[in-house]
Amino acid sequence: MEIARQKATKTIAIIGNPNVGKSSIFNHLTGLHQKISNYPGVTVDKMVGQINEGERHYELIDLPGTYSLFPRSEDEIIAHRVLNGAGSESPDFVLVILDACNMERSLLLGTQVMDLGIPMAFVVNMKDLAAKKGIEIKSFELYKSLGVPIILTDARNNQGMEAIRDLLVNEKFQQPKPFRDFSNFSHKKLLDEVMDHFELENQYRAFQLLIFGILDNFYSKPQREWLHVKSSECGFDSFSQQVEETKQRYRQISEVLEKSVIKPQTGNKKSKQILDGFLLHPIFGYLIFGGIMLLVFQAIFAWSEYPMNLIDEGISFLAAWIYQTLPTGVFTDLLAEGIIPGIGGVVIFVPQIAILFGFLAFLEDTGYFSRVVFLMDRVMRPFGLHGKSVVPLISGMACAIPGIMAARNISNSKERLITILVTPWMSCSARLPVYIILIGLTVPQETYFGINLQAMALLSMYLLGTIFTLLGAWALKQILKTKEQSFLMTDLPIFRMPRLKTVLLTMFSKSKIFVLEAGKVILSISIVLWVLASYGPSGKMEALEQEKIEQMEEATRYGGTQEIEEMFASKKLEASFIGILGKSIEPVIRPLGYDWKIGIALLTSFAAREVFVATIATIYSIGGDLENELTIREKLEMQTHPDTGEKVFDRATGFSLMVFYAFAMQCMSTLAVVYRETKSWKWPILQTIGMTIVAYLGALLTYQLFS
Amino acid sequence: MKIEISIIYNPMTAAQLKDREVRTIESITFSPYIVRLLEMGVMPGKSIQLFKKAPLRGPLALLVDDHFIALREEEADLINLTALS
Repeated sequence: MEIARQKATKTIAIIGNPNVGKSSIFNHLTGLHQKISNYPGVTVDKMVGQINEGERHYELIDLPGTYSLFPRSEDEIIAHRVLNGAGSESPDFVLVILDACNMERSLLLGTQVMDLGIPMAFVVNMKDLAAKKGIEIKSFELYKSLGVPIILTDARNNQGMEAIRDLLVNEKFQQPKPFRDFSNFSHKKLLDEVMDHFELENQYRAFQLLIFGILDNFYSKPQREWLHVKSSECGFDSFSQQVEETKQRYRQISEVLEKSVIKPQTGNKKSKQILDGFLLHPIFGYLIFGGIMLLVFQAIFAWSEYPMNLIDEGISFLAAWIYQTLPTGVFTDLLAEGIIPGIGGVVIFVPQIAILFGFLAFLEDTGYFSRVVFLMDRVMRPFGLHGKSVVPLISGMACAIPGIMAARNISNSKERLITILVTPWMSCSARLPVYIILIGLTVPQETYFGINLQAMALLSMYLLGTIFTLLGAWALKQILKTKEQSFLMTDLPIFRMPRLKTVLLTMFSKSKIFVLEAGKVILSISIVLWVLASYGPSGKMEALEQEKIEQMEEATRYGGTQEIEEMFASKKLEASFIGILGKSIEPVIRPLGYDWKIGIALLTSFAAREVFVATIATIYSIGGDLENELTIREKLEMQTHPDTGEKVFDRATGFSLMVFYAFAMQCMSTLAVVYRETKSWKWPILQTIGMTIVAYLGALLTYQLFS
Repeated sequence: MKIEISIIYNPMTAAQLKDREVRTIESITFSPYIVRLLEMGVMPGKSIQLFKKAPLRGPLALLVDDHFIALREEEADLINLTALS
């Protein structure tokens, strides 16, 4: 006998079909008291919210949307594991959200949960839509057949939320009776054996174990072996059992619904079809999609500029303030030159991430995304991608980070991995400053046939990125193997007005994940880069410092201290470890047309691509206003090779550099996010190697072609 | 000599639906997708209508009862329809 324990915090799992309003109920109940953690071994985020009522604390777990407890995607495995108590204790209570317009389908999952025997309650959501369709739900009849509490709600309009809260905090859940009838089950003996072997008291849990225990590596090898032997002995076929169960459940559900749900004879279908007629149209559909994406893209660039500048200024201000306030020393240097700019490098992306995810949440909340999946699936498939890959790839044109994070809802793991691996090749906004300065140096400002050559060059870089993204995906499709099948089968939910609260919550939580998770990695790499750039072999740096002080003393008498500061900044960088590194890689990058100075810029811009401009500026000791790219460009224009007297940034070198920046993985934030999303260092490392090889070969080819 | 004559019954599937055509689902071909389709509410006895097709044999937008779902052609091909009476 199990002894009842008094737990400080009780857990309540929320589960339901996709698009049933589950997250919106979760948000209503928990507001900002949410935290995101990870389930062990999988990439799915665990969304947990808190509800406190006096002394009692409840933890709400928002499980991923699923149509049944027969898991196929990673998301669904989570729902399956949590409810079966695999890996952790099963929750104390379950709240199942049903769709009032599609009771039949949502009860398939609902009755499966009933059979697990956890105290539970049903929430029938979207009662407003059902009423509009003329569907009448007799909740008392439903309660009589199902035997657990039922609440009718309209989460979008806040109706019924108090009732749910009241039910939760007063623990009015009821222990359900088993719904599935196992009396005619063909493998009853096997079920009993499983219950004995795993010490289960519930028939349906034993059944679930028979179906998925073999595949779930949560169970030990001997356990899985045992299940495998037993089920093949008895001729238990997992797949046909799933079909059988689904059919049986639907039969039983229709009996229940016959008494409790009244549907109108003829549905009022016309209204919602007009909009979809345009959105899914073979021509208008694509035009509308293109228009919306243009708008989003524009907004990410235009709206994020102001907050990004503000953050940039704030960070420099903070660094300067630290210099002035704290005593001079290594720690201050580390803080002001390593850590603060490192944090700045993370925070600077927040506006773009927040705006992009705001738009994505907005579009998702209306139901538009599933239409995009419908439109784009055929286009993406030859490249080993899914209709759902479109959103990550397009987001990648602003910044690869939110794009990679958005790849999460691709259920097929191969398609998701390919999407994650190729998204960094979409031309992100950090490449823009690099392109602009290099195009300015190497492409003449001329117009042919009304087309500006420089604009054409920029457009070509964007096209190059997109084409290689697709080619890369195609190549990965040939290499990566999976047994998983790719399928589309998606709901096209009814169009609804998006809610501000949902949009804002998504913006907030996505930005938070990025800052906290990716931030750790970015910060540590920035510190390493700072150390490499500030220190050199002993003696050399000190000698330079001494020389600088002497010259400075002289200069203060005659003026011109600034030039000397800049000259020594450049000399110090040359003498630092990273300078030595730059020189040592020179033989490798020589064929690409780069000298060791560009080599240093390549190394430092691993922190972020836009660092290229700042590094080049320091190394060629270009003072003045870094924001003013014209001055940098003018000075770079004058750089010549000391031995040959040729221009450093000629066309061949410039083009080769642009191609290198288009392909190389020069963004540790992306690296950190790929690690986070794939939960292993294998993929980010392979990705970096692969991208660097392509970048090197591409740049080599470009240089040889143009020189 | 014995000649075996077999009549191959080839029902129409949802993949062959014409624009806006409404039919009834008769059965679903046994395949790895059958459970998924059943879970999505695609089951015998329901009415099915083709709403829109994406170009180049792309996905199909179907109305099953009055719920919109999108399926690829090969998935729709598993849905057998009743013959017109």
